[in-house]
Amino acid sequence: MLTFLARRFALALVTLWLLSIIVFVGAQVLPGNPGRAILGPFADDGAVEQLNHELGFDQPLLTRYWDWLSGFIHGDMGTSYVYNAPVSDFIGDALVNSIQLAAFALIIVIPVSIVGGVIAALKVGRLIDRTITVAGLSLAVVPEFVTAIVLILVFGIWLELLPVTAAAPADVGFFEGLKYLLLPALALTAVLFGYIARMARAGTVTSLDSDYARTAVLKGLPWRTVLGRHVLRNSLLPTITVIAVQAGFMMGGLVVIERIFNYQGMGLLIFNAATRKDFPMLQSAILTIGIIFIMMTLVADILTSLLNPRIRVSRAES
Amino acid sequence: MSERQREVDAFRRQQGERENHLIDEYVAGRVTRRDFIRRGTMIGMSIPVVGWLAAACGGSDEPSGTGAATTAPEGQAGGTFKFGLTTPSSGLDPITVADAGGLCLNGQTGEYLSYSLGDPELQPRIAESWEANDDATVWTFKIRQGVTFNDEASTPMTAADVAATFNRLADPKNKSNALSVFQGVLSGGGVSAPDDTTVVFELDAPNGSWPFLVSSDNYNAIILPENYEGDWEKTWIGTGPWKLDSYTPKVGASLVRNENYWGEKALPDRVEITFYDDAAAAVLLLQGKQVDALDATNIANGRAIINDKDNFTIIRINGSTHRQLSMRCDQEPFKDNRVRQAVALTLDRQGIIDGLFEGYSDLGNDSPFAPVFAATNKDVPQREKDIEQAKQLMADAGVPNGFSVQMNAIKTGEVPQYAQIVQNSAKEIGVDIKLLIQDPTTYYGDAVFGKSPWLDSVMSLVDYGHRGVPNVLLGAPLLSDGVWNAAHFKNSEYDGLVNDFYAEPDIGRQQEIAGNIQTLLLEETPIIFAYFYNILTPTLKNVSGVVPTAINHLFVDRATKA
Repeated sequence: MLTFLARRFALALVTLWLLSIIVFVGAQVLPGNPGRAILGPFADDGAVEQLNHELGFDQPLLTRYWDWLSGFIHGDMGTSYVYNAPVSDFIGDALVNSIQLAAFALIIVIPVSIVGGVIAALKVGRLIDRTITVAGLSLAVVPEFVTAIVLILVFGIWLELLPVTAAAPADVGFFEGLKYLLLPALALTAVLFGYIARMARAGTVTSLDSDYARTAVLKGLPWRTVLGRHVLRNSLLPTITVIAVQAGFMMGGLVVIERIFNYQGMGLLIFNAATRKDFPMLQSAILTIGIIFIMMTLVADILTSLLNPRIRVSRAES
Repeated sequence: MSERQREVDAFRRQQGERENHLIDEYVAGRVTRRDFIRRGTMIGMSIPVVGWLAAACGGSDEPSGTGAATTAPEGQAGGTFKFGLTTPSSGLDPITVADAGGLCLNGQTGEYLSYSLGDPELQPRIAESWEANDDATVWTFKIRQGVTFNDEASTPMTAADVAATFNRLADPKNKSNALSVFQGVLSGGGVSAPDDTTVVFELDAPNGSWPFLVSSDNYNAIILPENYEGDWEKTWIGTGPWKLDSYTPKVGASLVRNENYWGEKALPDRVEITFYDDAAAAVLLLQGKQVDALDATNIANGRAIINDKDNFTIIRINGSTHRQLSMRCDQEPFKDNRVRQAVALTLDRQGIIDGLFEGYSDLGNDSPFAPVFAATNKDVPQREKDIEQAKQLMADAGVPNGFSVQMNAIKTGEVPQYAQIVQNSAKEIGVDIKLLIQDPTTYYGDAVFGKSPWLDSVMSLVDYGHRGVPNVLLGAPLLSDGVWNAAHFKNSEYDGLVNDFYAEPDIGRQQEIAGNIQTLLLEETPIIFAYFYNILTPTLKNVSGVVPTAINHLFVDRATKA
């Protein structure tokens, strides 16, 4: 297990290094002049050149890359070109917001989707299976921003039950703050439910058809024990991987949801940094998301190993 | 002779030629009451005097539907007023601020010499009055006394602070956007304060509209301390009715009433400003009653609230915000002005206004003279769609079958849709326009000739914000040496007329010159100005006393809620 973890960690470092190169080079090839983007289209040419010099844009690419990466490793993410303030302050706040929303959405969607998928598998071919499958597919194909707007209209404007923005005032309590996150979390749940439920259903159907499940039943074990100890433990392995990938996506990919709900998460941060050529913000934010994504997949791998001894053994043998 | 007439005559005997000429124009009906009041205050007559003269001398009624619409405070004072504001896209230093969100924030705690609120007259604020010398090259402003900054020490504001503010703005090394207004008119060091109550502007060239160019229309012209060091984001220093309580970049700000304010204290106890990145999300904020007002909305996103008169009030401002579709006069296929005219004649302007703005817009007539400007000559015939004439012009120009051309357009607001309308319209005369819609950074490039799609493209479609007077719009985009001359239009007759216009303070004469300019531009058509759209500021129905401007200020110190 330790060997496995060490190898995964080393692979993660290599992945992150490659990501840093891609992010840095990608930011450099974005069209536009950073000094011009900061000072505006009508600023004096000389002022733009001077700012580009102050920001180091006349330095060689490798020098700039190393300065940025070494600073990041030491916790110095640089200064935002747009706000002239430490990037780490903005990323810190946005990351907390994204984690809160993602966690809340996952708390809702994981049990609902798994229960839905398992029930569909247990009643395969019957009305409830069809209902859950069709409902899941229907919700999955509707873009999340459409779902979000419908939820806002119904619960925020017509019924006035919930706030239409996800950004709670600073002085609200924990549970009052959850009210602000409920609508975006439900919008995300609607999108993810179909995908996770289908994975759970497929895995459960396969496991129910397996020899070990049949043996467990023939041994006379209670159905609950068959399901809990034998079937689910195997059927949920791919579902765990899907959840980890989706969790990583929710950290930095929710630009549209964050815009609609006026929520300052990582998605909106990255989007605004890209459009405003705020390179320190853009590069550091993407690398941060990369780190989180890799951590989530690592957690998924560990969970998978814990749940499936065959994976532990085969990895140990290799 | 009536007593009133004797009073007017007595007053006129003490006035100069400029003032008497304006009064003559008004009495003769060549100037509307609205324009009389506006020009009168501009040349230094006080509001009470102008108002008295307007009543005493009669004259035509003001046109309806123009100027700033606002509602007088009707509800309860106190409490917290909340409004949504487009997220400031950069730093907030008033000297360099260049976006709608930033300037709105500056205007909460800061103040200007005077306020251009769409009413006929400029409203004095830090300046109490102003007057010009005979040739409008020297303007003298009287500065209000008893005004203090909102710092801990309540430092008194003096004329020296005002002079320093404008010298700072006019100095190119400070990179202010105000330079686009001051270029060729005011140099750094051209402002002095001979005493605590007087500021003197010595201009590089005559300018009859100077008070407007230093009013709130010049959004960088927030009065700052003489020793200002560029730390505005920490202090929000200013002389206005609000003080900073807290500010979180990208999220919002809270302000509290400035109890040391020199004027009427703000009616609300505090203001909470929520930033938004998305116009549709902003509308939802208002519909969900999480804010009391928004800084602005548009038809595309705000249809639900614009049409819901039971729950929302829409404050409508006729301004000069517009889009310029330039055609390069120095390159084929637009070298021949007949081709340019032909393209302009394909547009159904009223149809465009109805389609894009549901009528919330004024017609443009291919010149910068928006209907809202006092100097606009309303006698110049409005250009209308005429495909037959367009085809004839194309044939006369030797291109009866049309041609293919690329249009670069900036991706903002309704510009992409407008570009498509132009593309479809031009097909009727065989002109095949290929659209290239670009994000602002790419489109503007370095904003200099040779390095900017905006300035280099054969056909270029760009947005222009509101100005209180047409001076900047006549200059930078159209003068032969104009730095924003995307059409590469070089016409010495036009240059001469514009310089005459700049120097002329008399409204009647301005309108004459404007008529000549408008006629010339219709003939040459280097740029298509199809519309000047209205600014729409939505509030909840129970809100009153909110004062927006066409450049995205939102003044809420008189706001109340029923």
